[in-house]
Amino acid sequence: MLLTYSRLGGLRFVLCGIGLTVGLFLLLPILVLVALSFGDSQWMQFPPPGWTLRWYADLFDDPDWIFAFLTSLRIAAWVTVLSVALGLVTSFGLVRSRFPGRETVRALFLMPMILPVVVLAVALYALFLRLQLNGTELGFVLAHLLLALPLSIISISGALERFDPSIEDAAVLCGASPMEAKIRVTLPAIMPGIATAALFSFLASWDEVVVAIFMASPDIQTLPVRIWGVLRQDLSPVVAAVSTLLVALTAVLMLLSAALKKKDVRA
Amino acid sequence: MTAAQLQALPLQDAPPTWTRRLRGFGAVLPALVFVLLLFVVPVLALLLRSITEPTLGLGNYAAFFAGTTYLKVLGNTFLVASLVTGASLVIGFPTAWFLAIAPRRLAGLLAGIVVLSMWTNLLARTYAWMVLLQGTGLINRALLGLGLISAPLTLTNNLIGVTLGMTYIMLPFMVLPLTSAMRTIDPSVLQAASLCGATRWQCLTRILLPMLSGPIASGALMIFVMSLGYFVTPALLGGTANMMLPELIAQLVQSLLDWGLASTAATILLVLTLILYSLQVRFFGTRSTA
Repeated sequence: MLLTYSRLGGLRFVLCGIGLTVGLFLLLPILVLVALSFGDSQWMQFPPPGWTLRWYADLFDDPDWIFAFLTSLRIAAWVTVLSVALGLVTSFGLVRSRFPGRETVRALFLMPMILPVVVLAVALYALFLRLQLNGTELGFVLAHLLLALPLSIISISGALERFDPSIEDAAVLCGASPMEAKIRVTLPAIMPGIATAALFSFLASWDEVVVAIFMASPDIQTLPVRIWGVLRQDLSPVVAAVSTLLVALTAVLMLLSAALKKKDVRA
Repeated sequence: MTAAQLQALPLQDAPPTWTRRLRGFGAVLPALVFVLLLFVVPVLALLLRSITEPTLGLGNYAAFFAGTTYLKVLGNTFLVASLVTGASLVIGFPTAWFLAIAPRRLAGLLAGIVVLSMWTNLLARTYAWMVLLQGTGLINRALLGLGLISAPLTLTNNLIGVTLGMTYIMLPFMVLPLTSAMRTIDPSVLQAASLCGATRWQCLTRILLPMLSGPIASGALMIFVMSLGYFVTPALLGGTANMMLPELIAQLVQSLLDWGLASTAATILLVLTLILYSLQVRFFGTRSTA
């Protein structure tokens, strides 16, 4: 029948054809990126006439690219640490207590995720012009933290809700102080949620481009801002090399996330 | 331990006291202050500028709706968002269907591709489409080679480019939720229908589609809202003739320094987003867009 693959008859081949076409459609740009980054055509001919590592050499020889990479990494690292720390404390407050207005506060925390990023970017740009935070790393970190925090709160409070608080109580009954019980019992149990929060927070900053375009100055650029700047001028093959490295990073993080998910389900 | 000692222990399932409530609020306070200062205040300040700059009043809104320039941008924003939503729906439904029922290994492979494409850096994906769609790009050369066209088509800097690039980005947001919704449907429901004499077409239109109408509508609405606010892909693949609201806002701020009008456009985008989002919450419950 319609939901039993082996009994679909001819329709099975239609669906299978569509599925495989869509798979190809989704995979094609990624394959093209990888091929172009190793291809020796300056004009992005595809398939490439020959193979070369020239674009990677260009990439690693250019101090601007290295600098942008390090800037992105530094900002994303700060955002990850702050987002997890703030998300952890906030999640305990949201999940474990019943203060008035809790649901409103929770909705407010998720708002930055719903709003169109460009509105947020312009609003922060105006504020940071006044505070002279545009073009500073602190400005980047604060802006990206705003985007990362909802993701962190969702992951950690989700894990905390699945954890039975009476286990923490058992530790207290056995003589642990409340803080000790939290750190030695609850924290290890919600670790997969915390790791997911860290992963999403890192990516929220690392891949973020819209807010970054507004915050950037000639002196300080993140990797996406630099890619954006290059793309607005021409389709340099060096961008293919950067993109390929980013795809590789994505694949690694994806495997990591899948491993975390498995662990979370088991916990 | 005596009952009194047990009562004094700071346990989770003890009834909430005032100090515990305060402590809970204290834990939320740092993030709350952060969100108020960096989100609520600046966004409200921006919205306010739409009626205070350059002079107090609704002049900016009158200017926005008076000429055809801005209305065309608004119309174009809706057009692109509708096209992307429609394309995601038409492609996403059979894909999700296949994913839900295909043999495990095949489905796992395809799901892996969907997730990989979703997680790949947005700029990298857009760049790949810019290369694929250019005059000498793979798509044009394939079409030329097959003899389907005699001269290269213009596929970037127009509606085709932006719709294709955005559909690529939005498709996973239709496919993934729809797949999990389809997996929850018991196949025996359809067996029962066919035993009662329903044709395949009737099974599809009278049972499967109505059962999935919630997730389909919810996914479509989410993609529509996200498309309204998209900046990067339209700016790189759409060109100036197809400008959308987010790009207009960025240009008004960065090139024209017209904060009053930029805030007006931002307010319109914000209100549209919030209306559609509250519809989503109201009819389909909350769902994270992450």
